[in-house]
Amino acid sequence: MRVFGSNELLKDVLERDLCIGCGACMELCPYLKSHRGKTAMLFPCTLPEGRCHAYCPKVEVNLDDLSLKFFDTSYEGTPLGSYRYVKTARAGEKVDNGDFQAGGTVSALMSFALKKGYLDAAVLTDRKGILPVPRLVTNPEDVFTCSSSKYTAAPTLLACNQAIKKGYKRTGVVGTPCQVLALAQMRSNPMKEKDFTDPVGLVVGLFCTWALDFRAFEAFISEHVDVNKITKLDIPPPPAESMEVFAGDDKIEISLDEIRQLIPETCSYCIDMTSEFSDISVGVLEGRPDINTLIIRTERGKNIVDEAQEEGYLVVGEIPEENLEHLIWAAGNKKKKALIKGKQDGLLNISEEDKRAYLRVNTKTIEKIIA
Amino acid sequence: MSYLADNNEGVQHLLLGNEAIARGALEAGVKVATGYPGTPSSEIMESLSKVAHGRNMYVEWSINEKLAMEVAAAGSFARLRSMCVMKQNGVNVGSDFLLHLALTGTREGMVIIACEDPGAHSSINEGEARMFAGMLEIPLLEPGDFQELKDMVKWAFDLSEEIRNLVMVRSVTRLSHGSGNVKFGKLPEIDTNVDAGFQCDGFILDPDKGAMISMPVNHFHGRLQEKLKKAREIFEDCLFNTYNGVEKPELLIITSSACNLYCKEAIALLGVEDRVGLLKLGTTWPLPPELIKKNLSRTDNIFIVEEVLPIMEGNIKVLAAEMAPEIGVKNFYGKNAGNLPTSGELNPDLVLDALKTILSVEYEDMPESYKKKAQAVALTGAPNRELTFCPGCPHRASFWSIHGALKLDGRKGFVCGDIGCYGLGVLPTGFSTIKALHAMGSGIGVASGFGKLRQFGMDQAVVAVCGDSTFFHAGINGLLNAVHHSSDVTFIVLDNGGTAMTGFQPHPGLTVNAMGDEVPGLDIAAICGSLGIRVEIGDPFDLKGTQETLTELIQDKKGVKVLILRKNCALSPERKNKKDYEMHIDEGICLGENCGCNRLCTRIFRCPGLVWDQERKTSRIDEAICAGCGVCVDICPAEAIKKKEAA
Amino acid sequence: MGNSPLPKEPYNIIITGVGGQGNVLLSKLLGNMLTRRGYIITIGETFGATQRGGSVMSHLRVSARSSWSPLIPKGRAHMVIALEPTEGIRVLANYGNPQVKILSNTRAIHPVGVIAGELQYPSIEEIRKSAHELASEVWFIDATDEALRLDNPVLGNTIMLGAFAGLNMLPLEKEDFREVILEMMPEDKLDINLKAYELGAEMLNRAVSGTA
Repeated sequence: MRVFGSNELLKDVLERDLCIGCGACMELCPYLKSHRGKTAMLFPCTLPEGRCHAYCPKVEVNLDDLSLKFFDTSYEGTPLGSYRYVKTARAGEKVDNGDFQAGGTVSALMSFALKKGYLDAAVLTDRKGILPVPRLVTNPEDVFTCSSSKYTAAPTLLACNQAIKKGYKRTGVVGTPCQVLALAQMRSNPMKEKDFTDPVGLVVGLFCTWALDFRAFEAFISEHVDVNKITKLDIPPPPAESMEVFAGDDKIEISLDEIRQLIPETCSYCIDMTSEFSDISVGVLEGRPDINTLIIRTERGKNIVDEAQEEGYLVVGEIPEENLEHLIWAAGNKKKKALIKGKQDGLLNISEEDKRAYLRVNTKTIEKIIA
Repeated sequence: MSYLADNNEGVQHLLLGNEAIARGALEAGVKVATGYPGTPSSEIMESLSKVAHGRNMYVEWSINEKLAMEVAAAGSFARLRSMCVMKQNGVNVGSDFLLHLALTGTREGMVIIACEDPGAHSSINEGEARMFAGMLEIPLLEPGDFQELKDMVKWAFDLSEEIRNLVMVRSVTRLSHGSGNVKFGKLPEIDTNVDAGFQCDGFILDPDKGAMISMPVNHFHGRLQEKLKKAREIFEDCLFNTYNGVEKPELLIITSSACNLYCKEAIALLGVEDRVGLLKLGTTWPLPPELIKKNLSRTDNIFIVEEVLPIMEGNIKVLAAEMAPEIGVKNFYGKNAGNLPTSGELNPDLVLDALKTILSVEYEDMPESYKKKAQAVALTGAPNRELTFCPGCPHRASFWSIHGALKLDGRKGFVCGDIGCYGLGVLPTGFSTIKALHAMGSGIGVASGFGKLRQFGMDQAVVAVCGDSTFFHAGINGLLNAVHHSSDVTFIVLDNGGTAMTGFQPHPGLTVNAMGDEVPGLDIAAICGSLGIRVEIGDPFDLKGTQETLTELIQDKKGVKVLILRKNCALSPERKNKKDYEMHIDEGICLGENCGCNRLCTRIFRCPGLVWDQERKTSRIDEAICAGCGVCVDICPAEAIKKKEAA
Repeated sequence: MGNSPLPKEPYNIIITGVGGQGNVLLSKLLGNMLTRRGYIITIGETFGATQRGGSVMSHLRVSARSSWSPLIPKGRAHMVIALEPTEGIRVLANYGNPQVKILSNTRAIHPVGVIAGELQYPSIEEIRKSAHELASEVWFIDATDEALRLDNPVLGNTIMLGAFAGLNMLPLEKEDFREVILEMMPEDKLDINLKAYELGAEMLNRAVSGTA
């Protein structure tokens, strides 16, 4: 993996408008900060190599290296990435807090892992009004206060960097595919630190087709409703094709066509719908807003799901064949479109010494996916 | 100096040029002295303010130069000798009033002192007030050494009374901020029974008893020109115009002001006293034609030496052209001919170089081998010193927060600034945050304009900064304009408790005046609050709080928001040499050049009190420089900078 | 008129340092002491914004005959008093000559460019070497370090003045120093300044005899 410094980060990511604001580069140094969804570089840093560039999921991401590291195989480009099996899930009877969106699987898993001591801290995304804010929690009950859907990009990973700084050794992280990708790079010790140990105890990845630019979304939504009164946002599964905004006693519906205008360009380069470098990935089961789809990818992911099921924190079921087929089709489609775009824009596997690529992956895999 | 008001005629003192000017005014019996601080003029008023009560004077640091002129004019109208003092830019500020005053004329002597700054040592322009003398049609005096600073200022009052109009005296940095021996003259008795009054019930055209109104303009303009003519006649025999040299020199130098001293030096160094004559003019506008004719007749080669623009040169050439049938056509050397630069200040060497060429003489300033060696050594042995905010300066902290807030906002915002130490915000010491820098009060004025450009697609954050003294001087007008027009601007008043750059002169925000009397202080926050806009007050040393407030204000796109950042200047009497904290660095924790810091404190924050230890690869406090403000504690990402309360 | 002959007519001194070090005060003290001895003094300096951490210079011209330009012509300095060691080196590029003498403080003040890592600051050995290359006589005094022991770094100026007096180039009398201090400063500053002044002369003697 090639590592550069913040000047390259500025050039390759911020100036190319590729930054999604995941937070991976923050809380590492005094130079990079997030404010209302935008990443700011306060002052230039002169170091030729830095963690900011190494962790960033939008530049010099080597999928083969990561895949080898986490799944012992080079990147094959299958729609859902490496996994053991796909199931459905929802929170079990031991989870009494019903204030979560969809099946509550993520909250159930994180609180369970904290309670059992598999994790000493969890990195989640809370919100202030409609602004998503990173949150570091250690109390299992606090997990449920972060359970709502946000739809806008969030600098969640800065809380992970905080957790490491504070000395937590087994941090659980819930993140979107870009965040999970950044996390994978972070966990593979790109700076080649001596005595490195993976500080992350569990990665729960979310399904994601896109996120909204916070500032654009806020400006847009303020034209429809008083932002300070918004209590909940929801996008019901198809065929609804709208976003529901709950504000006070009102509920307004906004067409997804309008909402999609607010998706930042960088999401269209994203090849990952299901957080392929997680331990467990979770999404909403199509047609069933109360049930989650669950992809179990790793040994420790499997163990925790099994245990949570045994102890009544999680109810796991079989996924209907057509749902799985559709999931594979959708994830494959996202990957294909993103790679075509990345290739067209010349951002893949750049070979010039003084230029950095967005993604690196073996050419055969690219051709296979695009075809 | 305490001896400035001593009545010790004939005694010599080493005086700062500005003290010499003050002494001249005292010897003239000035009663009303006003001004606005500005380098290189401030010490004149400071000297007078110290003796004001003892000499039964009224001394005022006015809100701005226009006010200073108006207050001084009232003194003159009421039969009191008056003076107003400012740097070159101040004359621009007051020029509107002056144009009227020149027409109505004055009664008791009124003198305006303009201290100019050729080379812009402490200015951001090289503008010359000399031009105004021509435009206003008033006499201009230019003292040529330290003794003349005193003597000519005193004489200026007599001249003003003789012609019943304002007289301008021009000094420059090298005189005002130089020092030389000055022989004191007599001080008038302290007059405690002054009978001041404004007589205005006489015939409208009566200069002594009528109203002070410049109408009918045609009449008054004609009268003004008569006054100027009278001054010209007086200048023909003026003792401040001197000639030194042989009767018929090969070259005549005509000069004025500090250039007189440079010319003398150059002539002496070249040893050309027998070839060159030096005409030093103290009265440079209007020029006395007979005197000029007599001197031009000495030779055909004329070299005119002045700072900055060739103003006197032009005026002499006009006379020379008119006199050509009598005195013949002259060869002129000077600025137009390219012998001297038309920007920047002069010095003995520039004059010497020009003279050397004109006269074709040899001169070596330094042996060539020495010069080469010295320049090479200086290049590596004396690293350049960029200007910086002082250790403990509140501006460094303020700009840190402003810079941070603008970056977080992320809309490529910028700061408009104006005149004060905070103008250094254009440099790395202020994180290069100021991107537009103009006249007093122009920060908020220009920002007021930028803040109205949203309709044309401009979405950058617009911030203006202004000092407390500048706020009253001209900032308040810009603020009113911005508020009235609902311009989207964040206006930051950097209130450091005085006119710090020029030496802590009081301003209307303080409860003391120039003479040390108690006066009502005007509250900047209350003034801003009365405009119905959001006003926040912060401590710039609270970096976190300031940055949070500022970020919020910048993103609140509804008209003008004001943040007043209050902290006394590090050099103020309240803070100077008083450390709040003893600082030290825990070298074990300091991250130094590693990822996670990369020397934020020394590389970016750049306080002179924090230095980088090249060998140990950590930061270090230089205790001889550190002011103990403690701000750097909050910038260190590793918490390696420690403070403890100073004993 | 001056009552003792000057080594040169006029005798040109440059006092140089960094804004905030007290350059102006030192030139005033020196100028006033010499004025008391009947010399005609001209001083040129810059202050204002240029003071803020920048290089500052005072030009002091001592004459038994007349006033001179407040700026010394190129190559015509006789004595350089450097409150900061690299500033002494800097002025020589314009005002030095093979006969010039330097009295320099040893305490470095790093320019912000050096602090930031953009520029290099020479070692004191390099500075000494440069000074010896460019001047006929050189004295280095740990004035600020000594002043810090007196609990006030600004007294470094007085120590430097005392050291200069100790060189006996000009008729600088301690009695004149006392009178001038009393004219310019509150009375309670007198004793500590006298102490620093004497210390300067002592330190110079040590420097001359090679024990410093």
